[in-house]
Amino acid sequence: MRKSLTFLVFFPILLFLWIALPPPELKGSDGIVGVEICKGCHEDHYNSYMKSIHAKKGIPNSPANKDACESCHGPGAAHVEKGGGKGVDIFIFRKRDDAKSKSAKCLACHGETRDLSFWDLAKHKAVGVSCDNCHTVHSGSRKNLKATQPDLCNNCHRSIRAQQNKQSHHPIREGKLKCTDCHDHHGGFGQHMIKADSVNELCYKCHADKRGPFMWPHPPVQENCLSCHTAHGSNILKLLVSRVPQLCQACHDWTRHPGTIVTRFETFRGASPSNRMFAHACLNCHYTIHGTNAPSTRGKYHVR
Amino acid sequence: MRSKILIFVMIFSLAIFCSAFAQERILKGEISATGVAPKIEGEKAKFNEYRDIRDGVYVGVDTRYETERYYLDFKAEDIGYKTQKYGLSGGKWGSFKYNFDYDEIPHNYTYDAKSIYSGVGGANLTYPTSPPSTNISTWTTFDYSIQRTTYGGGFKLEMLKPFYFDVAFSEEKRKGVYPFAAAGGTSPGQGAIELPAPIDFTTDNLKIEAGYVKNPLSLSVGYFYSTFRNENIYLNFRNPSSPTISATTPDIFTLPPNNTDYKLEFKGAVKLPLNSKFNVNLSTGSTQSSVNLLNSYVTPTALRVVTLSDSAFDGKIDTQSYDFLLTSSPVYLLNGKAFYKYYNTNNKSDHITTTDGTATFTNHLFDYRKVKYGAELGFKLPAGFYLTPAYTHVQIKRAAREDIPQNDDDIYGIDLKWSGLEFMVAKVGYERLQRRGDFHGPDITGPTDSANIEQYQRRYDVAPKDQDTYKASVDLFPIERLSVNLGYKYKETNYKETILGFRSAKRNEFNVDADYLIGKRVRLFGFFDYEYVKLDQFQRQIPYGTTLFNPANLPTSTAYNWTVTQTENNYAYGLGTDIYILLEKLTLKLQHNNYKSDGYADYTYLLNSIPLPGGRTQDNIDIPNWGKYETRHFSAKLIYNATKFLSFSVGYVYEKFIADDAQYNGYLYYSPAAYATYLTGAYRDLSYEANIVFVTAAFRF
Repeated sequence: MRKSLTFLVFFPILLFLWIALPPPELKGSDGIVGVEICKGCHEDHYNSYMKSIHAKKGIPNSPANKDACESCHGPGAAHVEKGGGKGVDIFIFRKRDDAKSKSAKCLACHGETRDLSFWDLAKHKAVGVSCDNCHTVHSGSRKNLKATQPDLCNNCHRSIRAQQNKQSHHPIREGKLKCTDCHDHHGGFGQHMIKADSVNELCYKCHADKRGPFMWPHPPVQENCLSCHTAHGSNILKLLVSRVPQLCQACHDWTRHPGTIVTRFETFRGASPSNRMFAHACLNCHYTIHGTNAPSTRGKYHVR
Repeated sequence: MRSKILIFVMIFSLAIFCSAFAQERILKGEISATGVAPKIEGEKAKFNEYRDIRDGVYVGVDTRYETERYYLDFKAEDIGYKTQKYGLSGGKWGSFKYNFDYDEIPHNYTYDAKSIYSGVGGANLTYPTSPPSTNISTWTTFDYSIQRTTYGGGFKLEMLKPFYFDVAFSEEKRKGVYPFAAAGGTSPGQGAIELPAPIDFTTDNLKIEAGYVKNPLSLSVGYFYSTFRNENIYLNFRNPSSPTISATTPDIFTLPPNNTDYKLEFKGAVKLPLNSKFNVNLSTGSTQSSVNLLNSYVTPTALRVVTLSDSAFDGKIDTQSYDFLLTSSPVYLLNGKAFYKYYNTNNKSDHITTTDGTATFTNHLFDYRKVKYGAELGFKLPAGFYLTPAYTHVQIKRAAREDIPQNDDDIYGIDLKWSGLEFMVAKVGYERLQRRGDFHGPDITGPTDSANIEQYQRRYDVAPKDQDTYKASVDLFPIERLSVNLGYKYKETNYKETILGFRSAKRNEFNVDADYLIGKRVRLFGFFDYEYVKLDQFQRQIPYGTTLFNPANLPTSTAYNWTVTQTENNYAYGLGTDIYILLEKLTLKLQHNNYKSDGYADYTYLLNSIPLPGGRTQDNIDIPNWGKYETRHFSAKLIYNATKFLSFSVGYVYEKFIADDAQYNGYLYYSPAAYATYLTGAYRDLSYEANIVFVTAAFRF
């Protein structure tokens, strides 16, 4: 009985460990064949590597000062012995390869850098993005990026691409603002990998005029810019999430005008044009919705 | 000043290179000149919203100079234009880096706007006689536009590894005119005036960081300091709604106050046993402003003096943020993350009590505290599956937010990724957000107190809600050089306790794109994006002095409910090809994009059998052009690489933007029907059509 119990307890544990532990390295650190052997079959790759920062011998710990190609791809002896072939006994960063294994190759050198100190926190890591999704080591470009922003990011973030193409947008597609100006693609503490502790802190970096502090703040504004605005693009002026007046009315139903229905009749071409509907609608009068220091009701109701 | 900075930068950089001359050197780059001839009809400001495309020659320089140890990059774009940009960066790999940047960007809103005022661009707006002329041909013509200029530099020292030091400074100036607006008379419900407000902002930012990175430890201390200066704290304007006193006493509009902001932060990470890492982020900061308060304001008939408890307002909001995260991968098949975040804002600004006749007002100072914690696990499963369940709890407590002072969110999520095949990666995901918030009813003074309506309101930013998000995507690589990607997302939000306000929202998104290289001759690519958004809203219209606040009451002709459903259909597609007519010699690039949005507002008066007012029917009140926009874009470019060093290209771009927006169609600068509203034309008609021809010569070395 005791033996059975012992077996029942330990067998699943052993089985789990056998499955869970990383597979052993098939090859040891031996088997380095040298860059000239690699070049013999892969001259194109060799040439592009030589143009890259990785081929700089002036940089301590660069692949050029280690095993060159085999610094990242692993020892090539077995690959050569078997006559080569795609992925035959060599690590080639295939799409289906485990992201963790691929990134580990890069992190072996780049892990001890400030930019990658918090890679473990990155959503990119959690969803299986590996370094080679964005970078290529065989490149002469700075940071070895496979494409320029925003195209590089939009390859995966396609719904963001759709937002950026809307008529009200930040100057991203014009090349004056990059995704990485706001997001920490290598990981950080901010939600959605933003480079700040809160959304408002991030927005205030460029929109410092909204920082206040104001005598008459507008609470939703002070808590989260994204209550009313969207960051990546909108069909509504000023990147709003909904049109004014409805956006304001959703919170400010009240006697007299805040709850008053304004429709097509109140547009410029309607039978009863009203400044509660046309142009800026509510904001024709209540413009200082980000906060104000005006006295009395002028401040309280955000009209000055 | 700018040229001096650039000259200094160049000399500094070249000096560094003197020490590297003994080494092998590489100098490469490109100098290009592009002659552009655009023909633009319509709103040029929208066409050039963030651009400066006009007749002329655009010169670009991109050079790289490097040795085995040092490098120096210099980039220049659009030299002499409003979008000009210069960047110089260099350093010694692994030892230090430096950079100097200069960047300009315009933000154009509307050209040829018109105002009753003279003095546009300054802080004093006036007109000669009252009432102001309604003949717009006599008004002042100006452009709504802001030019943003940023310059700065940074230095990173890495040679003392594992220690590093980083300092960066930047200054940004914004200058121009922006459309503000003000109520003309005593609110509520009087006229309005659009005000061309002066923008003259300067923001200085300084960031200093020092750190240590060596396994198993990573530590850094950072300090960020920023100042914002506005040259115009007030905008004085003659108010047409105050004709009796406005000639001698201008009305005053408050503009953003000067402020300072600082933040001190510590970040650290330490590796632990079992392939784990503990990460921490601690920061404290403060934002402060100070402004002398106005002790009077202009009414339609007089200058009204108020009594303030203090003549100046000192604003101060302190912020603390603490993050603690544990990541762990104790076994190969498991990745875990547990986190806790505390974020607190403490508003220590002055309480100011204003006595205005018999009324007194004291400002409410808003602040909040957010606590967030949760966990995420990643399981590597057989056959290429990866499963990630996650849970997050968010609690927000607010001061001076009486309606819902606290929210508790529970967010459950699960993602599954399958990468079992070489030619395909598939993902599905689901997330559910449940938001709770106890509603606190308003303080009510009697049955006719307008605050009674708030019992039925749940403001959408804090309202209790259930939100479900489903997403799926497939990335296919069926053959080499062909990729097809499909994505779908559906989000549904139900504001379950809301009677008045946003009640529900739905969003459907579908994206597809493909890229195919056929042989070595032709590359085809394209994308299609579709988005559908629906937002349901329920509101109540009530007159002053009523007791009929409850939406459950039967409608009367003055107190009734109404609804609006806003929908938005967005389509975008793009098709393009690169044809390599002569390999590495002659290339033809063709691209066509189309972006279209179609907004609709469907209103309903809930009046039962009571007739709708003033000729309205349930159908003729709807707004079919509630934001209809379309951009058509076509471009063709022929590139000829004459030699290894010299290339020429010629191209044509057609771009048409059509704006059809009910809030701006039939635009009136002066609207007497709406309590004498004076507008200036901001955003009035954004449509444009542009034909652009360009020729480029590029020299590579």
